[in-house]
Amino acid sequence: MASPRRLLRTARQLTSIKTPLLTSQFPRHVSTTPSPPSPSPPSPPLPPKNLKPLTESQREMLSSFLRVNQAGELAATLIYTAQTPPILAREPHLRPLMKHMYDQEADHLRVFNSLIAKHRVRPTALYPLWSVLATGLGWSTAVMGKEAAMACTEAVETEIGGHYNAQIRELLKMVSEWEAEGYDVGEEFTELISTLRRIRDEELEHLDHAVEHDAQKAEPHWLLTGVIRAGCRGAIWVSERV
Amino acid sequence: MASPAAVNCSGAARRILLLPTTTTQPATRSFPGRLSAVTSRPITTLPSTPRTKSKSTPKTQPPTTPPPQPLQTRRTYHSTTHPPPPSPFTQAETTLLTSALTSHIPTHGFTLPSLTLAARDLSLLDISPSFLGPSPVARLIHFHLYTTRTTLPSLASQHSDLLSGLSVSGKIELLTWLRLKQNEPIIQHWQQALAVMAQPSQVPVAVRELAMLADEIYYLAGDKSVDPSWYTKRAALSGIYAAAELFMTTDKSEGFQETRRFLRRRLQEAEELGGAVRSVGEWVGFTASAGVNVLRSKGVRI
Ligand SMILES: [Fe+2]
Ligand SMILES: [Fe+2]
Repeated sequence: MASPRRLLRTARQLTSIKTPLLTSQFPRHVSTTPSPPSPSPPSPPLPPKNLKPLTESQREMLSSFLRVNQAGELAATLIYTAQTPPILAREPHLRPLMKHMYDQEADHLRVFNSLIAKHRVRPTALYPLWSVLATGLGWSTAVMGKEAAMACTEAVETEIGGHYNAQIRELLKMVSEWEAEGYDVGEEFTELISTLRRIRDEELEHLDHAVEHDAQKAEPHWLLTGVIRAGCRGAIWVSERV
Repeated sequence: MASPAAVNCSGAARRILLLPTTTTQPATRSFPGRLSAVTSRPITTLPSTPRTKSKSTPKTQPPTTPPPQPLQTRRTYHSTTHPPPPSPFTQAETTLLTSALTSHIPTHGFTLPSLTLAARDLSLLDISPSFLGPSPVARLIHFHLYTTRTTLPSLASQHSDLLSGLSVSGKIELLTWLRLKQNEPIIQHWQQALAVMAQPSQVPVAVRELAMLADEIYYLAGDKSVDPSWYTKRAALSGIYAAAELFMTTDKSEGFQETRRFLRRRLQEAEELGGAVRSVGEWVGFTASAGVNVLRSKGVRI
């Protein structure tokens, strides 16, 4: 039995990352905890912001972020779509939970599809491959039982949550460099960072649900999650590039 | 499966790009002629003028170190608020190349004499075209490709009344046509230019510019698709544009109407083919889930 403690530790590690990001490093510009909208009067048009042109490597980085996120969320929607019927056949009471998680994934996919179009990023080239793999993964784990399905969710969301955190960290580094050089940080990036944070939190919520629903009881849990997590890392690595 | 169209079109694009190599012959034949015509003028010494006698020029780099030619035209993240990335051409290059393009290319073609004449116009007497890097002529052609592509958005807004009434495919056709018309002033030299860009050292730039142009046209047409059709659409348009561009160099009809008809036919064919390719792609992509659903509908409890 792979220790539940290891799992929870993972979960805690992930969640603990978000706290410092949310509070200490970026008090003002990129805070995701939106201060309650102060009843501001219709503000006068803001003076043009002093925004720094993006470097080639920053644009490369942003492209690969959006591309891999699109691929990941596509896969997530397909995993949940494939998992839902076999799971509900045995555990009908999980319907609201499965629907809730699917709806969130579908929203994530919409977000990244529109960001890809807006910022003219090349979408992932392996769309059909991800479709097949994700559907296969979702369906095969679901027929192995609820526990295996939840272990699949746990493994996927662990990788994805950590992956979003890594992206947020890079973006925070980028905007803090701008601030240090006296540039402004515009809404384009404060919004991107807060979107990534919201999505990251929702992924971690999925992880919690999976753990609550006996993900660790899957046998052999360590093998299942290990294989799936390795697969996710490989898929992320490929999506960032292709 | 996206590959048939992609392969087809990149094949077509490759054919188109390589085809003009057969015209290298006339190009090289005409080139020395023009060169001697120009070199017989007083500016004969221009390219070989010693660089030590430097007049004030806006150029910052010594001519001996040609600017690096980065492969700058990658399609990466496009910020909607931040200033655009700098032009791949330096200020000095832009000045010289713009002058050459507007004043001398229509007469002298994409040649070194055009560049030396432009340099003389600007009183940059000490500038040898070698400051444009190892292949100044290719740099000049790249500049034409770059400026025509980057002026396409303003061209589109000039025609916004026409464009606004059109479907996406209608917009694609009109925008492609507007881009083709940008070649009009230099059309009699364009085959020669295509031959230069088909040289192995220039193919990466040429292909990248072509891909960027296709992306620009789809962006301006308002296409928002982010699925595999993103690739097939751009590959198809690249091939069609390259073919139409070559067709136009031989078109003697009034207002290049034959070229426009050619363009419309090719786009029409691609749309029909695109539909087929898309359905194959969807079939491959979703067979797994569809298969599962079909079995479920037959009562198989999976
Ligand atoms: Fe998600
Ligand atoms: Fe998720």
